[in-house]
Amino acid sequence: MRIFFVSDIHASNHCYRKYLNALKIYKVDVGILLGDLTGKLLIPLVEKAGGGWETNFLGRPVEVNTQEELASLKKTIEMVGYYWIHLTPDEFNAMSSSPQKQDSIFKRLALERLTEWMALADERLKDTGLKVYMAAGNDDIFEVDNIIQNSSTMVNCNDQVVMVGDHEMATFSWTNPTPWDTPREKPDEELEPMLEVLISKIKNKEKSIFNFHAPPHGFALDLAPQLSKDLIQAVDRKIHVGSLSVTKMIKKYQPFLSLHGHIHESRGIQKMGKTTMINPGSEYSEGVLRGVVLEIEKGKLKDYIFTSG
Amino acid sequence: MATEKVFARKASGLVRGLSMVDAFGVGLMNIGLSPSMFFMISVGLLIYPGGNLIIAAILGFLLGGISFPLVWGILGGSMPRSGGEYVYNSRIISPLVAAAESFGNAFAWVLWICTLAPYVVNPGLTMLFGFLGLDYLNEYVTSFWGLFLLSSLVNLLGFLLLAFGMKFYAKAQRVAMAIGLLGTVVCLLVLTFSSHEIFVSSWNALAAKYSSLDYNAFLTAASQAMTDAGAVLPTTWNWPDTIGLMIAGSWLIIYSYAVAFIAGEVKRPDKTLLGGSFFACLIPTIIMVWCGIVLYRTVGYDFTVAASYVDGAGAGLAGYTFPWSTHFMGLAAILNQNPIVLGLFAISFIAFSVWFVAMSYLAFPRILFAWGMDRIGPKWFTDINYHTATPIKTMALLFVIGEILLVPFCYYNDFRAGFVVTTLEIVSVFGVTAVAAVMFAYRKKVKNIWDASPYKNWKILGIPVITLAGILNLIYLTILFYGFFFTIEGFQWWPYITFAIIWLLGIAWYFFWKRRNRKTGIDVDMAFGELPPD
Repeated sequence: MRIFFVSDIHASNHCYRKYLNALKIYKVDVGILLGDLTGKLLIPLVEKAGGGWETNFLGRPVEVNTQEELASLKKTIEMVGYYWIHLTPDEFNAMSSSPQKQDSIFKRLALERLTEWMALADERLKDTGLKVYMAAGNDDIFEVDNIIQNSSTMVNCNDQVVMVGDHEMATFSWTNPTPWDTPREKPDEELEPMLEVLISKIKNKEKSIFNFHAPPHGFALDLAPQLSKDLIQAVDRKIHVGSLSVTKMIKKYQPFLSLHGHIHESRGIQKMGKTTMINPGSEYSEGVLRGVVLEIEKGKLKDYIFTSG
Repeated sequence: MATEKVFARKASGLVRGLSMVDAFGVGLMNIGLSPSMFFMISVGLLIYPGGNLIIAAILGFLLGGISFPLVWGILGGSMPRSGGEYVYNSRIISPLVAAAESFGNAFAWVLWICTLAPYVVNPGLTMLFGFLGLDYLNEYVTSFWGLFLLSSLVNLLGFLLLAFGMKFYAKAQRVAMAIGLLGTVVCLLVLTFSSHEIFVSSWNALAAKYSSLDYNAFLTAASQAMTDAGAVLPTTWNWPDTIGLMIAGSWLIIYSYAVAFIAGEVKRPDKTLLGGSFFACLIPTIIMVWCGIVLYRTVGYDFTVAASYVDGAGAGLAGYTFPWSTHFMGLAAILNQNPIVLGLFAISFIAFSVWFVAMSYLAFPRILFAWGMDRIGPKWFTDINYHTATPIKTMALLFVIGEILLVPFCYYNDFRAGFVVTTLEIVSVFGVTAVAAVMFAYRKKVKNIWDASPYKNWKILGIPVITLAGILNLIYLTILFYGFFFTIEGFQWWPYITFAIIWLLGIAWYFFWKRRNRKTGIDVDMAFGELPPD
């Protein structure tokens, strides 16, 4: 059985379309797309007095004057996983002073894009026989689960145990606390009982797959730059930011495979006892789809290859 | 537009924190100021005695100091990831070329250990012992076994600096940089605040103390030694040798490319990388020009050439009995006999040289890690130590290969070995990346990246600046390659035959792993294959 596992594409249209195509190109039997699925930034395209639009994009001021330039900018914004909205200067000022309004527009745009994605999957994967499992991550609002649920081809596997070939797979979208106070995060003491409940549904734990968004704490899969109080990353200090409860669960139940995401820069593979733990990393902001193809045979991970397309 | 027009929601994400000063520091550290100056002066003037240090430094900056920051800054600013040239070359040219290039690069990092660990001993330790009156030890440390054992210790030190994790490494790096910079600047200040007359009288006073050649006698003896070796002590500079000297001074420019390895962590990568690498070329050039001016003014033009020739040749000079050699720091030592100041000179040189060795332990395991991830190497290439988060296994591999190759390098102990490593990098790292820069704006497969690049509209006569910079870079690199390959007598062929074998091995390595993995159902091409977004 061949699995293609990807995580953290953060609303990148490019990465999502590449993912759908990769399922066929890599000739996989099963696809797993783990969160985070939604984007982080909203780019307001503000009307200029004399015509055209202005904004800030990728840290620099940008002005466009023609419809062609505008279309090209929108496509690039979507490629890197951001959202865009047309605003007059007055609307921009009103939105700048209203966090509630920003939240509501973010939510609407995030769900709209995800709905478009599900429609695209239904169109492209129909009649292919491919099984694709999808779940949210800590950055994703709870409404995301319902959108996936409504797809006819994608299987929402969040907080469930599903069969992947002969293997039971448990999926968990929550993480330990981050500095950003994201929608799905809790202290490790609270995550542990949640994980225990989920794992208790697995019959054969040794042959199971853990599909947990948070990587285990203390490995090469959870190294991130240390942050200052202002969330500025340190020059050269990296620290472990993974979940202690995830480490505990893997150590205790020893599934043969454990899939993770969350820490984009810690792409890697590592063993803990009988468990092979993998984080494929993410480079969504450049439209690059990072993932890992897994060959599973006779209940074991026979081989793997990290991909970058 | 006064206000920032972006809305962010509560989602995990990093704020890039490194400034232009940080980027400049990374570039400068990789240049390693005083060993690069030593290489340009002592090794450069040995081969090109008619070269002018000041003009060569400025010429090198005009050709390389502008094109290098443009090539590496624009590529890094357009693809702000911390993977260095492998990122650009695999995307713009092809994964196979990037893989072959990185094979050559990995070998270059091994060779830096073999070249620069002996530099720590000679001229580093020999300089220290000479300055402190312990020159009787030099005979032992420069013998084959002395050089090999001490170079092995440096190799081990490089390993240990990384073995305890990046936090420890970062602290050590700051100390090394502070000492290195301080020693170099103090050395130049000593030369700056002395006149030619004081230098001559100081030299003659020391000559009397050590029963050595006085200023004029040294000049005569060195001139005769050069004549005996088929060279001529010039009375003034000439253009061909100055271009040759520019080639020897290329270390002060090309190694600023290291800023590419922090592209993923800098604020405003579109400006920071370009600015950081530009200043990392400019400041060493200014220091080198400063050094050239004070050497010519204080030491004298012909004496600087003669002294550098004698130091670079490494065979000594009959009648010269000072306990240290006549490199630029040795010339400054004539003017200041304070043991603390002299110790600082030598330790600054040692600090920069040790740092070069440590850099190999930073870079080599990361290259092997990337191979392991792409399955063009064994799986253990990706193993990371639990406790220190360091790739101990590949570091140990580097230590062993380094030890093996240290044997011939210590046996021959030729300063010019540095030319060999740079030549390998000119082709395998810089040349390939310059080609990628030329292609960037026209390559269909990276059109999306180019369209989003902040430099898309940077054009001169309708041609993208990145293309022009790539062409200028290739011209500079071609001059360097020609200089390294064709103008160094007696040191021409064996390294290049070795390079050809390495590149062939790189291609064979790639296809071996491709075939091996296919047997288990994994196609290595999947690691790099293009995925259509539509």
